[in-house]
Amino acid sequence: MAEKPVPAFRRAVVALSGGPSDERILRLVLELARPTHAEIVAAHVVEIDWTQPLDANVAEMNEEAQSVLDRAEARAEHAGVKIESVLVQARDVGAAIVDEAVERAADLLVLGLPYRTRFGGDFAIGRTVPYVLKNAPCAVWVAREPMPEEQRP
Amino acid sequence: MIGGRRPLHGRKVGDRRVHVERPHSAYFRYTGPGMLTAKEAASAPTPRGRAVEHVRRLLFGRRLSNAEEELERLPKKLALPIFSSDAISSSAYATEETLRVLVLAGAGALLVSIEVAAAITILLTVVSLSYRQVCRAYPSGGGAYVVARENLGAAFGLIAAAALLIDYVMTVAVSTASAVSQVYSVVPAVYDVRIEIALLSIAAITLANLRGLREAGLIFASPTYLFVGLALLMIGLGVVRIAGGEAQATPLPENLVPLGTEPLGVLLLLRAFASGSVALTGVEAIANGVPAFKPPEAKNAANTMLGMAILLGVLFIGITVVADGFGIRPTVEGGQTVVAMVAAAVFGDGSPLFVAFQAATALILFLAVNTSFNAFPRLAAILAQDGYVPRQFAFRGDRLAFSWGIVMLATVAGGLLVIFGGETHALIPLYSVGVFVCFTLSQTGMVRHWFTVREPGWWWRAILNAIGGVLTFVVLLVVASVKFSAGAWLVVVLIPIEVGVFLFIHRQYRASRTQLALRPDQVIEPPRRAQRVVIPVNRIDRAAVQAVNVGRTLSDDVRAVVVTESREEAEQARERWERQIPGVPLVVVESPYRAITGPVIAYLDVLDQAWPPDKEAPITFIVLPEYVPRHWWERILYNQVTAQLRRALVGRPNTVVTSVPYRREEADAFRLREGPGEA
Repeated sequence: MAEKPVPAFRRAVVALSGGPSDERILRLVLELARPTHAEIVAAHVVEIDWTQPLDANVAEMNEEAQSVLDRAEARAEHAGVKIESVLVQARDVGAAIVDEAVERAADLLVLGLPYRTRFGGDFAIGRTVPYVLKNAPCAVWVAREPMPEEQRP
Repeated sequence: MIGGRRPLHGRKVGDRRVHVERPHSAYFRYTGPGMLTAKEAASAPTPRGRAVEHVRRLLFGRRLSNAEEELERLPKKLALPIFSSDAISSSAYATEETLRVLVLAGAGALLVSIEVAAAITILLTVVSLSYRQVCRAYPSGGGAYVVARENLGAAFGLIAAAALLIDYVMTVAVSTASAVSQVYSVVPAVYDVRIEIALLSIAAITLANLRGLREAGLIFASPTYLFVGLALLMIGLGVVRIAGGEAQATPLPENLVPLGTEPLGVLLLLRAFASGSVALTGVEAIANGVPAFKPPEAKNAANTMLGMAILLGVLFIGITVVADGFGIRPTVEGGQTVVAMVAAAVFGDGSPLFVAFQAATALILFLAVNTSFNAFPRLAAILAQDGYVPRQFAFRGDRLAFSWGIVMLATVAGGLLVIFGGETHALIPLYSVGVFVCFTLSQTGMVRHWFTVREPGWWWRAILNAIGGVLTFVVLLVVASVKFSAGAWLVVVLIPIEVGVFLFIHRQYRASRTQLALRPDQVIEPPRRAQRVVIPVNRIDRAAVQAVNVGRTLSDDVRAVVVTESREEAEQARERWERQIPGVPLVVVESPYRAITGPVIAYLDVLDQAWPPDKEAPITFIVLPEYVPRHWWERILYNQVTAQLRRALVGRPNTVVTSVPYRREEADAFRLREGPGEA
């Protein structure tokens, strides 16, 4: 008798930034979720600075923020995978993503990471990824974008 | 959730976040700046809509989005059965049609059937060689309409389109009638219910097409190859038995058509040739569907065309030779078909091979119908895009199928079957004329095409198409003249009528487009025209008040008009109106002849005449209060006068008619808040 595939995850929170890495991580997660019928939660966090109240009307009427999740829904629909999308306003992206994963009892958190360098050429990992790696209780996958051609050694 | 945002606490103090509601996401998706794309759910947003949608889904399947349209590219071995089922299936009745004419000149004339079949096969060779050129010249699909329109002009294109539409309708009617006749060749009792079976099969294929039946390879490949295989086996065995001298001993049915005594003249031969030339119907299908082939599309389509022509030629000649060898002639109405008699003579009447062959023949004929169900709606859609038929024909239904074309084809073909009693040979005279009009126009168009493009080898291609054009034109004249009285006159009359209708619709669309057109350099400024509001009311009530409130948002010049039969009622109405709705004048029109719509229109005419002639006419908003009933059956109780007024006022110059709905829920809420009103 053929063995059932062992699911890589049951419920994954995919953090979408609106950048080119979204496409990459969505493709990966959708491919893995399809055979095992795993649940996917696509989360997009809009960071609200301290000049505005946290519940200011920022993301609701923001087409760009809405379209990040709409694109993800369209991809999932095309792949035949069910997806839940959630739009969040928070002071800190990393904390909001981790809290979403904890609240939904996700066993995987997936993030994309653009390849950026600081002034001087050092790789810049930003604040969000280290925070998530340090604080998320579940497994964390970080998919870094390929290094641009001109920066390759 | 407050204002679409739900605050949440994080694990750490200070890590608060807010979930933002996405109200659009149930029905729409942002696909670009300022651009929303409707999801499937938006097609049925109300509970009733969802219930209807559920039934539709059961019948027609789920809705398909535009993105789901797949262009299935076909390899030659699948394309051959898909595009050739129509052409190859005509070999099942072409021999019979020839014999039905020749039998009028007695037994000796039946022997000429082979020569007639050979002549038709030569014609088939020329036509298919010519159509191979069409495949190469129009890799995007060169139906006779496109070829004729581009090379000979719009008028010839429309003649070709009219002929093609007739051809497709006839394919459905003839193939279905012939398929049913194959069934009653095996089970004679079916003859009495042939029309019902034919209509049921058309209904089934219509439903399948409305569900968006793709030309699924296997559905078509198996019956076509089964028919071809069994027919070749039948011809091979038949020839062996004829050579072995066994043919004479085979018994034939008793209900054969009696041998005639007419002389075998040129006219009879021409009639036999014209009748047998139905074998060529469906030959053009491959040239129409070149884009569906795998690359190199044109080459593959041309080679498939060759394969189809060889198969059709062999089957037609073969069946005719075997029928001739066994001395088979047609039966009277309701008897076995010629091809069934050939199968019975070769395989043995009632043998498994005979039943299998009859089943395959019936099946390929039923499937041949689908060629038309694909082509007719597509051609109608192209004509709709070009503005020659109503635009609805270009709309694609929930399953990406051109629903209007499909339903139209099924209705007309079903009607023809009923009118002609489901008899194949009664329908045949109407068939060939349209086909040969298309052949002639597309071949002539191709000659013009080669002279225009002048690519290497153009001259021999032009000669080939010219021979095809001349030959098919001669056959067209023959078919139209010898079958004129038998029914071809109907097609000869119908084509010009169709073209006339196309041109009429085109002129209408062009005229309306010209009237509605804006110059590209025109910049539209805000309007500076005066506006006034007229509110026809029945009595003073909440619906009237709501209409007045809406009217006041549109203009300061608002007046209400009430038409009444008695002066006393009028005075009461005015007194109450002035007390309760001050600032909005009420015009009372007394109508001693009890008319309502007429006096309102007359009052509007008077208003228009009273407007200063040196000023631009104002826009008059007619605001109609409308009570929205809760149940469908309540509709007959309310708003009848409003509906009359709307019908009378729509289209009036400088007038906008608008309804202000007043729902019972609003009335209930108002009563709770303010207490009961006074009727």
